[in-house]
Amino acid sequence: MSATAVEPVTGDPTLAERVDDVFDRPASVRSLALLRLVLGPVVLIHLWPFLTDTLGGTTYDDHFWVRWWGFMPQVPGEVQVALVWTGAVAAIGLSLGWRTRLVAPITWVCVAGNLFLSQHHFRHNRAFLLFLLAAVALADSGRVLSLDARRRRARTGARPGDPGDDLGTVWPLWLLRALAASVYLASGFSKLIDTDWSGGLVLWDRAVRHQHLVRERVPEPIADVVVELVTARWVHTITSPIAVAIELFIGIAIWFGRTRLAAIWVAIFFHVSIELSASVEVFSLAAIAALAIWATPATRDRTVVIADGTWVRRLDWFARFDVQDRPGAELTVTDRDGTVHSGGTARWLLWSRLPVVFPFVAVARAVRWRRS
Amino acid sequence: MPAPGAVDAPHSSGVEQGAVGSDRIVRPRWRARLVRGFVAVVLVGQAVLIVRGYADPHKFFAFQPFNESSTWRADIVRVTADGQRIPIEEPWPGGYEWDELVRWRVLERPGTMRHAYSGLGTSLDFLDDALDWVAANTPEDDETLYLEATTEAYRNTRGPEVLVLRSDLRDEAR
Repeated sequence: MSATAVEPVTGDPTLAERVDDVFDRPASVRSLALLRLVLGPVVLIHLWPFLTDTLGGTTYDDHFWVRWWGFMPQVPGEVQVALVWTGAVAAIGLSLGWRTRLVAPITWVCVAGNLFLSQHHFRHNRAFLLFLLAAVALADSGRVLSLDARRRRARTGARPGDPGDDLGTVWPLWLLRALAASVYLASGFSKLIDTDWSGGLVLWDRAVRHQHLVRERVPEPIADVVVELVTARWVHTITSPIAVAIELFIGIAIWFGRTRLAAIWVAIFFHVSIELSASVEVFSLAAIAALAIWATPATRDRTVVIADGTWVRRLDWFARFDVQDRPGAELTVTDRDGTVHSGGTARWLLWSRLPVVFPFVAVARAVRWRRS
Repeated sequence: MPAPGAVDAPHSSGVEQGAVGSDRIVRPRWRARLVRGFVAVVLVGQAVLIVRGYADPHKFFAFQPFNESSTWRADIVRVTADGQRIPIEEPWPGGYEWDELVRWRVLERPGTMRHAYSGLGTSLDFLDDALDWVAANTPEDDETLYLEATTEAYRNTRGPEVLVLRSDLRDEAR
């Protein structure tokens, strides 16, 4: 058994104690390590247009640009070349977890530096990316799933999955949670108080003006029906408040254990629908990857007894389960509170905590629940 | 210095774990305060930027994407020292072209009605900045005194709102 040790509970902690826990109690940084793996490609995709520009000999100051602050001197274009290429190389190191404590801050500095060369480099998705990179840099996200971890194990003789192998300071994780939730809440609230938005005018007008894109992407027999539907004013009168509610729901419900899984599933649906209907650069990929930060920062605190746990181990990226193979055994899952689940409940508990299958399992569960 | 009996720190460099039997991270008092202060500053800063976004045309770090469905276009002319008003689509001393100078699709082909990127405020503010930038970065143009854009905008289908923007005066034509 390799469950993370937890101090016995001695009564409800006060708010001050909870805050101290955030800063002083080590916990699993695995979710940030998973996020780190994805952020490398995300940064490369983000930097790609700048890289190709510099290859063509063009830098930001060869055309219109706007300094962020009046006192800021004009930075030579060569600095941008250094920033984007260093950032790209550092992003590869970031994903590999090679010298993570060094390359993670470098990646952040390069992406931030490029953004702050000109106001017109700003995008909301790039600001969000900076949040993610900062958290990965501030936490010891290279403790697991990294070349750093492999090198440390070779030095100390430790093995993957040893107790405490992924423990680190997690205040950056909590800070990132607050910032990520604020993004959903800020966006949702601004739309809620804007009657043009919540009343459907904004989305309807966009749909009307971009209906040609629907005709380009939807096969002819049903294109007319789709266009008629998406350009109907009443449709947006209904869907716009729902869109606002979705953002607010994600920003609030994701904080609570009872609603978190639902919020994460809704967030996946939300980001996939945005990706299909709008151009948001790396936002969808980054935002879906960032949902990892809402996994409870504890590892192997549930026990699975299963006949063959090979696939569970492969898919259990968050290391939620202490997987025990027992040939011929029926599936049982022992939850954090000691409750032993079997049958359908055990299957739900197991599959709903494996990130790749979660979106589909959640739908199946919802359909089954509705039928019953 | 590690606390007496400290175990091998599995944390970030410089972070020490508490004594054996404790699962607390022990930091020097100044460092603990620094970390808490940093987090507080970031959270307050984020809150300020979100609130500030309601007064900022660009809504930097305020996270208000897809905030409008506004549209705009602009007629931009070069006003010469002798008072001529020459559309930027016509030949320009030095062979300059607006689209090449701005090289950003948000501001290219300004005469065409288009979606207001990130809202009308953002687009028109950038257009104003672009007039100044172009005026300052066309040294071979010795006849243009300033650039002037007359914009026609529809805020969420309502309008038109007409606005006249002018660049800084250029020394080259004075």
